[in-house]
Amino acid sequence: MDLFTHSWLPFFYLYGMGALFFFPGLYLITKTKSLDMNKPQHRKWMKILLFGYVWFMALHVILITLALK
Amino acid sequence: METFHNIGTTTDWIVMVVYFLVVMLFGSYFGRYTKSTSDFFFGGRRFSWWLITMSIVATGVGSHSFVKYSAKGFEHGISSSMTYLNDWFFVPFFMFGWLPIIVYSKVRSIPEYFEKRFSPSARFLATILLLLYMVGYIGIGFLTLGKALLPMLPEAVNVMGTAIDITLMRAIVVIAIITGIYITFGGQTAVIFTDLLQGFILLFAGFMLFFIGISYLGGFSTFWDLLPTTWKLPLAEFNKPSSFNFVGIFWQDAVAGSIGFLFMNQGLLMRFMACKSVNEGRKAAAINIMFILPLSAVVVGSAGWLGKAISVVSPDIISPNTSPDEIFVVVASIITSPGVFGFVMAALTAALMSTVDTLINATAAICVNDIYRPIVTYLKPARQEIESEKDRRELFVARLASIGITALGVLAVLAFKNFPTVYEAHGYFHSTLTPPLVVAIFMGVFWKRFTPAGVITTFLGGVLLMIIGARFPGIFIAPFDHGIEMNPARPYSYIRALYNTIVCIGVGVYVTAMGNNYNRFVDIFKSRQSGRSEMVGLTAVVGLAFALALFGNSTMNTQVLSAVFVVILVPGIVGYFVSYDEQKATEGLTSWSLDKAKIMFKGSDINDQVGEKVEVVFKQEDERENIIRFSKNDMERMSANVGDLVYLSDKRKWLGGLKSIHSTYGEIHNEDGVVYMGTRNIETGLFDKGRILIAEKEM
Repeated sequence: MDLFTHSWLPFFYLYGMGALFFFPGLYLITKTKSLDMNKPQHRKWMKILLFGYVWFMALHVILITLALK
Repeated sequence: METFHNIGTTTDWIVMVVYFLVVMLFGSYFGRYTKSTSDFFFGGRRFSWWLITMSIVATGVGSHSFVKYSAKGFEHGISSSMTYLNDWFFVPFFMFGWLPIIVYSKVRSIPEYFEKRFSPSARFLATILLLLYMVGYIGIGFLTLGKALLPMLPEAVNVMGTAIDITLMRAIVVIAIITGIYITFGGQTAVIFTDLLQGFILLFAGFMLFFIGISYLGGFSTFWDLLPTTWKLPLAEFNKPSSFNFVGIFWQDAVAGSIGFLFMNQGLLMRFMACKSVNEGRKAAAINIMFILPLSAVVVGSAGWLGKAISVVSPDIISPNTSPDEIFVVVASIITSPGVFGFVMAALTAALMSTVDTLINATAAICVNDIYRPIVTYLKPARQEIESEKDRRELFVARLASIGITALGVLAVLAFKNFPTVYEAHGYFHSTLTPPLVVAIFMGVFWKRFTPAGVITTFLGGVLLMIIGARFPGIFIAPFDHGIEMNPARPYSYIRALYNTIVCIGVGVYVTAMGNNYNRFVDIFKSRQSGRSEMVGLTAVVGLAFALALFGNSTMNTQVLSAVFVVILVPGIVGYFVSYDEQKATEGLTSWSLDKAKIMFKGSDINDQVGEKVEVVFKQEDERENIIRFSKNDMERMSANVGDLVYLSDKRKWLGGLKSIHSTYGEIHNEDGVVYMGTRNIETGLFDKGRILIAEKEM
């Protein structure tokens, strides 16, 4: 049974299309200086924001892999 | 489809009643801290991130409820969790765009932002759209509550010899009365603390149910092996079935829903605004979305997963034909013992009530702020009134508004009750109502060139194009359907969000890009002597075109042409009648000028030097204008100057900021470890004599 359209296709769409919103968002908030990379606290926030993206991606990879095993 | 009545025992009902009484007493205790409209709506902007994080659990879990996710979990498996794991994409915009702007601009509601950023007419339209959204959301909440409780109720009750059938709507009316009474006399502080308690209980009850269910089935591996592979996958099938598909739900939930929830859910925003600072609000949002939402996904969906597993192994215990919206109650009643079932149901219904309470409170805030105050100002512009009297009057109006909104929420149920599941009703609702406001907020915050003409045309033209799309989905929405089959009964419940968002963005971008042409158009009319009367005539014609497209009593081509006519001419009309100073309107109100927003918030230049926190005890002195005074040494340790903003709170962290104030540094004295303040600050901060307080510079 081909489960690609039920597993990895939605995964790629989610994080591909999501990236089109997420990374321009990061760019915009740094460009407008609302996230000011000169401030230590804001540098920490940048790391947290990037971690969040990877965190959810990792969660989905694990869940899909476990389901397909 | 199999439906149920009379599930549960007398013990369960006793547990539920006791639970509700305890929760209401808990809320009422904290309701006594409500002294003003600021407390009623925002809890006095004083709370720590952890308290807000937990209080959001009940709101988030309640609104994305046990009922609807268990239903989808039962029908489709673990992919019911996907809506809880797709909210991160817009977090940067929220944390560093919208959140600081609403806090620093000191707006009390989203429509107020529209007036500051654009114009009163933009605020008027935003208020209408937002009220529709909020009342609809309350309706969904009541519908869910009714569906959750109906299986526990008898089919009829005997009142003085007359048998009265218990229908969904009748159950909802009774629930609405109880909910309305609570919120009317509580306020935001009561709601925050009730939700805090319920946040913990919900997670506990949800996980307890999950573990009891796993044990009922004979262990996790048995449960896992019973589920078909497609039920284990965390994301739905890409584009089918039409009632639950990945791509439709991505646009409806991950895009429109997430932005709607973060950017225009006034209830949630008020929670973040109740945080002691913007940074605490960011922490609350980050922890909630990253960690609490994934846990909540298990809590709300697991009854459906367990129900599916039980229906595979014992279809005689749970029929595969069980009504999906009733599966949570059915599973909970089967796997738990009397009393425990009552506790689980109490936690569920109380959480739903929390959601509805929060929304009613938030909608009342909009009514006071965006309807009542502007009307009072318009009718009596020069009215002089003592602040405390004004506050008392507004608090009364807020409470009346809460009652009215509760009634409207019940009526809104009628619009949603015929959907097969609450999930689809909610999806349809989100796809339809969020795009215009979401697009307007986004463009307003991040695009300085976005003007009143842009926002008003986005509202009017966007809504018309959305309505036309809904009338002719096979023509307008089909090009965006990603291969999803159109269900004629409810065409494109989810993917319509993509079409709706695109038309709203399209209108906003078109008007902004054509800004200079419209300026020339306005100049021509302003230079003509008869310009004003010509513009009034044009407005009447555009009004007719709007009505033609809105009411749909004409051919599709006529409706489309009317909508295009509206989109083309409204910017010119708005440009003519609405005065707009871009420099003034964008200062501190877009993400491009957040530093300016901070300065406006503080009233003077920002002091960004990092200082320490200082422990002090308070001493009372004569009342002064909202200042508190520290010693020279303490000021130096905090790197603070006279006129900077200070946050002072009780040292006991578990209070979460309940006993705290925001104030301004006054002139210095010489007693280290002592803060001098007047009676009003002591009362507002709820400070206890002799207790150690922590002072920190806010900005």
